[in-house]
Amino acid sequence: MAEENGLFIYGIVPADVEPTPDAEGVGNPPAEVTAIRHGELAALVSEVGLEEPMGRPADLTAYERLLDGTAEIAPVLPVRFGTVVTGADAVEDLLAAHQERFAAALAELEDRIQYTVHGRFDEQEFISGFLADNDAAAGLAEQIRGRSEAASREQRIRLGEMISQAVELRREAENRALVDAVGRYAVADAARQPSHELDAVNVAFLVGVDDEEKFIGAVEEFAEQRRELIRTRLIGPLAPYDFISAHQLVE
Amino acid sequence: MTVATTSGQSGSALERTGGGGSGTLADVVETVLDKGVVIDAQVSVAVVGIQLLEINARIVIASVETYLRFAEAVDRLSIVPKDTKTLPDIVGDTAKGAAKGKAVSGLGKAAEEISGAVADSLRDRDSDRPRQRRSRQEER
Repeated sequence: MAEENGLFIYGIVPADVEPTPDAEGVGNPPAEVTAIRHGELAALVSEVGLEEPMGRPADLTAYERLLDGTAEIAPVLPVRFGTVVTGADAVEDLLAAHQERFAAALAELEDRIQYTVHGRFDEQEFISGFLADNDAAAGLAEQIRGRSEAASREQRIRLGEMISQAVELRREAENRALVDAVGRYAVADAARQPSHELDAVNVAFLVGVDDEEKFIGAVEEFAEQRRELIRTRLIGPLAPYDFISAHQLVE
Repeated sequence: MTVATTSGQSGSALERTGGGGSGTLADVVETVLDKGVVIDAQVSVAVVGIQLLEINARIVIASVETYLRFAEAVDRLSIVPKDTKTLPDIVGDTAKGAAKGKAVSGLGKAAEEISGAVADSLRDRDSDRPRQRRSRQEER
């Protein structure tokens, strides 16, 4: 069998980072993760067969587990999932070519970690509140109740569109409110695209380790104040996926 | 390393999900996909996961289907007791079921090329909340 191998790159770290022997990479069985060093930098990599199917759920999870675990002990620049290069020489070339940019980005990420705040409106709660405040919508609601979709399609579309617009407006307001409420405990924030039509908030925050507790406390308070309306989740600590800005991207 | 998946003192309004891929697959997809440093084409052999990415991008587009779904939610707010359903109600419910089935199969089709588990988790986003915690355990 003449299967060709490549190197899957997870992320870029300072040269003194050493993967633990139990670190599991992508692939089945999970590949061993090693570091390829050049100067002050290292890339976390593992071998993959180029014929192997990639992008299985387990691969995505392994990728995130490795990067998030690393981010808790050292700064790490995630490399886009699925990036595979020809071999160790290519990795070293990459590190050499962008040494300064990568090192500067890592210095900025020192002792910082990402948290994502993701919230979703409770549909019933949102809609009852909306109908209570909006006479025109309440009137349409009366017209469609108890009537089939076919018989009230036009009213349904109009009412649905009003609700949809109200969700969007409220989403903008809640995202602003979230950043106002917790942003002071974060170094940076990055808006994320809504991933559901009832998304209420979706913002990533880069948080200094010293401010972590205060940040979490502030998010808890935000969630508490909206307990009925929004189901709020805090995801993290994570590697800084949303803080790899355009100027750090390699052309 | 894995932080506790879903913890938080009972009664807390904030649900906590640790990092390290411990959330649902939908969480993982959303967190990592389309992020990170992009390596130039000369040294890069392949960037996989493109199908996943397309799915992720098409999830939230307001459409007539969305509007009709919101209108159905208004129907559900009705305080009329369930056992006094009129015929139009029943017809409406049937139409609702059909529309839902269509949306799910549309997404399922796009997800066919990747593993079924991803498709399942994407469907989970639209399903009821209490199921999320369970599906997370099932994935392990």
